[in-house]
Amino acid sequence: MSEVAFTEEVIRLAGDEIRTCIQCGTCSSSCSTAHLMDNSIRKLVHLVLEGRKSEALASESIWLCTSCLLCTVRCPRGIRPKAVISALRQICEREGSVSRDASFEKIFMDQIRSRGRISEVLLSAAYALRNPDAAVPIMEMGIELLSRGKVSLNAGVVKGMDEIERIFRELGND
Amino acid sequence: MDSSERPMRIGVYICHCGLNIAATLDVEELRRFAETLPNVVVARDIQFTCSDAGQNTIKSDIAELKLDAVVVAACSPRLHEPTFRRTITEAGLNQYMLEMANIREQCSWVHMESPALATQKAKDLISMAVAKASLLRPLETESIPVSRDVLVIGGGVAGISAALDLANAGLRVYLVERRPTIGGYMALLTDVFPTNDCSICVLAPKMAEVYANPMIRLMTYSEILAIEGTVGHFRVTGVTKPRYVDPTLCKGCINECSGACPVEVPNEYDFGLGKRKAIYMAIPQSVPLVACIDTNACIGCGLCAEACPADAVKYDQQPEEFKLDVGAIIVATGWQPFDASRKEEYGFGRYRDVVTTLQIERMLNAAGPTRGEIVRPSTGEIARSVAFIQCVGSRDHTVGNPYCSRICCMASLKNAQLIKERYPDADVSIHYIDIRAGGEGYEEFYLRAQRLGINFIRGRVSSVEEGDDGLYIHYEDTFLGKTIMKRYDLVVLSIGLEANRDAEVVGNLLGLSRRPDRFFEIAHPKMRPVEAHIDGVFIAGCASGPKEIQVSIAQGSAAASKAMQLLFKGEIELDPTVAFVDREKCIGCKLCVDTCPSRAISVKDTAFVDEARCKGCGTCAAACPVDAIEMRLFSDEQILAQIRAATAVKGEYPFIVGFLCNWCSYAGADLAGTSRIQYPTNIRIIRVMCAGRVDPSFVLEALRRGADGVLIAGCRIGECHYVKGNLHALQRVEVLRGLLREIGIDPRRLKIAWCAASEGDVLARKIEEFVEELRDLGPVGTELAAALPSGKV
Ligand SMILES: Cc1cc2nc3c(=O)[nH]c(=O)nc-3n(C[C@H](O)[C@H](O)[C@H](O)COP(=O)(O)OP(=O)(O)OC[C@H]3O[C@@H](n4cnc5c(N)ncnc54)[C@H](O)[C@@H]3O)c2cc1C
Ligand code: SF4
Ligand code: SF4
Repeated sequence: MSEVAFTEEVIRLAGDEIRTCIQCGTCSSSCSTAHLMDNSIRKLVHLVLEGRKSEALASESIWLCTSCLLCTVRCPRGIRPKAVISALRQICEREGSVSRDASFEKIFMDQIRSRGRISEVLLSAAYALRNPDAAVPIMEMGIELLSRGKVSLNAGVVKGMDEIERIFRELGND
Repeated sequence: MDSSERPMRIGVYICHCGLNIAATLDVEELRRFAETLPNVVVARDIQFTCSDAGQNTIKSDIAELKLDAVVVAACSPRLHEPTFRRTITEAGLNQYMLEMANIREQCSWVHMESPALATQKAKDLISMAVAKASLLRPLETESIPVSRDVLVIGGGVAGISAALDLANAGLRVYLVERRPTIGGYMALLTDVFPTNDCSICVLAPKMAEVYANPMIRLMTYSEILAIEGTVGHFRVTGVTKPRYVDPTLCKGCINECSGACPVEVPNEYDFGLGKRKAIYMAIPQSVPLVACIDTNACIGCGLCAEACPADAVKYDQQPEEFKLDVGAIIVATGWQPFDASRKEEYGFGRYRDVVTTLQIERMLNAAGPTRGEIVRPSTGEIARSVAFIQCVGSRDHTVGNPYCSRICCMASLKNAQLIKERYPDADVSIHYIDIRAGGEGYEEFYLRAQRLGINFIRGRVSSVEEGDDGLYIHYEDTFLGKTIMKRYDLVVLSIGLEANRDAEVVGNLLGLSRRPDRFFEIAHPKMRPVEAHIDGVFIAGCASGPKEIQVSIAQGSAAASKAMQLLFKGEIELDPTVAFVDREKCIGCKLCVDTCPSRAISVKDTAFVDEARCKGCGTCAAACPVDAIEMRLFSDEQILAQIRAATAVKGEYPFIVGFLCNWCSYAGADLAGTSRIQYPTNIRIIRVMCAGRVDPSFVLEALRRGADGVLIAGCRIGECHYVKGNLHALQRVEVLRGLLREIGIDPRRLKIAWCAASEGDVLARKIEEFVEELRDLGPVGTELAAALPSGKV
């Protein structure tokens, strides 16, 4: 994908308004994980518009978004910065450049999508399978939590799965 | 002269224009051709028709040959129509008995390589002009006497300047203000940028002048209830609300009555910071200096009446209705502040130390609620650190205000300076997206603020939180790329300006249109800055969008001078080239009402066109489903005659009939001529005032008569001289295309194009493209023939 094609693809996925970004930083300063990010959401939008694909996709920030949507609610230009993140994640996945955080993210999301909630046990197990070096500490902690009744082995499904499906659709995560 | 008695006698004058026309067109042949046309009694070719000699030839022919109408085949009517109208009037003909054939800009200059085809085109253009001239009727320009009085609605700084200028020029002015005092927001501001002079000090003398000027009748605490009539004679009804204080008795001492009043309410003139009594004076400099009782607060105890030494308090005062007859109206209803509590994340209304710039203006005011001190409302202590947050309620889609309010950057620069000057140790920051300081002396003002040590932090604040020790704001310093949380004593929201809801009634009564930002729309975004779409109505100051004091004053004066121009003579001439209704045919469907950009049509059983309002675009005539509306000039029968004349020979293929709007696309076609941009000869252009004038029957008639294509061209979207005529044209084209498809004609034979007066090249290329497209389609009727199994038509 060329630089231009990259910008166009993100715009296609996340909306034409992106072009109107004024780099005001409302999104990044609304973001609850901004302090952990290498590039702020605002900067990601700029990287996208500048066609700086490798920098944008390599940014750990895109895996730190918790989908709280404050950026999207507050952006004065009606941009959906969260949708930009989703678009970048999607392009990453398509191109196979998925980081460890991304694999966790995928397992997490798959569970939410299929059950409407996560099961700590299933989540840790699935993650440990894909990241064996993380398996030991996870298991140690898991046993401790299990013994204190903090995690449960029963993984239920929430009511209103259709609502969950709708939310996924609206966030452009399908 | 009456054509029913004898056939029209028409003279045709074909201009050589030196070699401008004669080098390409065979003028001699054109003259011989013109002689053969019906009703033509004389045809001449003249070297320069616009010269005195040329004009004299026309004049003597009119006298000697008893001509009824004149056709001049020469340059564009946009150039010399006024000249030849004058010529024929001097010879005793009615000025409207003239038609021009544009054989220079739209023929000889654009077809320099094809003289033979160009000469054939010129013949068509002349025979179209003669066909139209045969149907011309004399039109009388009517003058109506007008009222020379002017109503100014709104007594802010814009309305005040308009009223003073009019009164000083000798016109009577009614100044209607809905609040108890004039002055508007300017009367409440502290020092004002860009010079930081005291606002009320420069405004109060003007307010007093309004009060003292015998030509101004000031009606405060009053509202407009109804407006009827049109330019020259607006009949206005309004009401003055009771103040419950007799203005002839009140001495303005105020301390006596309000000192006695036991009721305290938040003072709206301090934006809620201070308090006032139920009987109050809006500001110490109020004009008129008369107290007013707020009936929502008054408990009817009667103490003020007892306290008043002048016996001015009158609880039985009644609303008083007034009626005015004015020739023009100036709308100067100003703005309203954005309601900061709508941006919940900033906590206004929840956190006491979050205030607005208007409140800061009042705090900084020596006569204000804090006597000029900048304090934290929560503690009453001086604020040591102050953050200004810009663009609150402006440039923000989430609150529906995508526009920039234009003055709030400057207002914050000003207030920050004033604070820094008063408290040099204070930490004062301005959090901005862009600093907009684009006026005379404004960038210097910005520099001054920087030199004073005010911090400029680029990044829009996302939220404000209250902590134990102050307010915390969150932002990203976008230059550092860091998200930051910072503590301040006081947070000031730089609120934007919105369209004033108080002006809604007035806007509706007058039929003013609004822009998407909800401010009143002016007639042209550049060229007519203070005119409304409605004749005789002008808009000044922030009523038409956020602006600073200087521009508001300039607009007040501009509106006043426009009103003077209109009314000074005491009469106005009505353009007779308007629409009229055939009441026999009208079915009262009201379709025309909304198409009219000038709101000239009303329907009571049948439609009625107010000729004083009508601008002659003809959109209504095209919209009427039963052809009950006609135009006095550019009438249906005249245009149909032009179409028939154009299609009589069809000397080439493909053959196009074009309808071009006078203001943009016809002017664009003229420009193609003056720029010598060459395009194919296949089009015959008919001038209409607006693309919206093109009646579906014109298109059908052209195609029926064998035109291979029809081109409609109008101003670019958003630039229509009549606001939305081009959109109406577009809608009609879409419907027509469907109809064409149904009757088996390829809808691509109807093309619509937008072209600005500066886009001669665009128009030329559109014509070229269309010729190519039509070549591909084959002659009109090809598709009908193909549809028949036998291949026969
Ligand atoms: C915080 C702040 C600071 C500012 N500081 C500056 C500055 O330093 N320098 C500067 O140049 N500009 C400044 N401005 C801008 C300035 O306030 C405006 O330019 C000015 O008020 C415009 O005047 P106006 O007459 O158009 O409108 P307004 O001041 O709004 O006056 C309109 C008047 O019309 C009346 N009215 C409304 N509706 C009706 C009705 N239906 N019938 C009768 N009367 C009606 C209103 O009551 C009001 O009196 C500032 C603005 C803000 C918000
Ligand atoms: S909030 Fe919107 S406009 Fe501002 S930087 Fe983020 S995406 Fe751009
Ligand atoms: S003037 Fe400045 S603060 Fe006001 S809206 Fe425009 S950019 Fe924002």
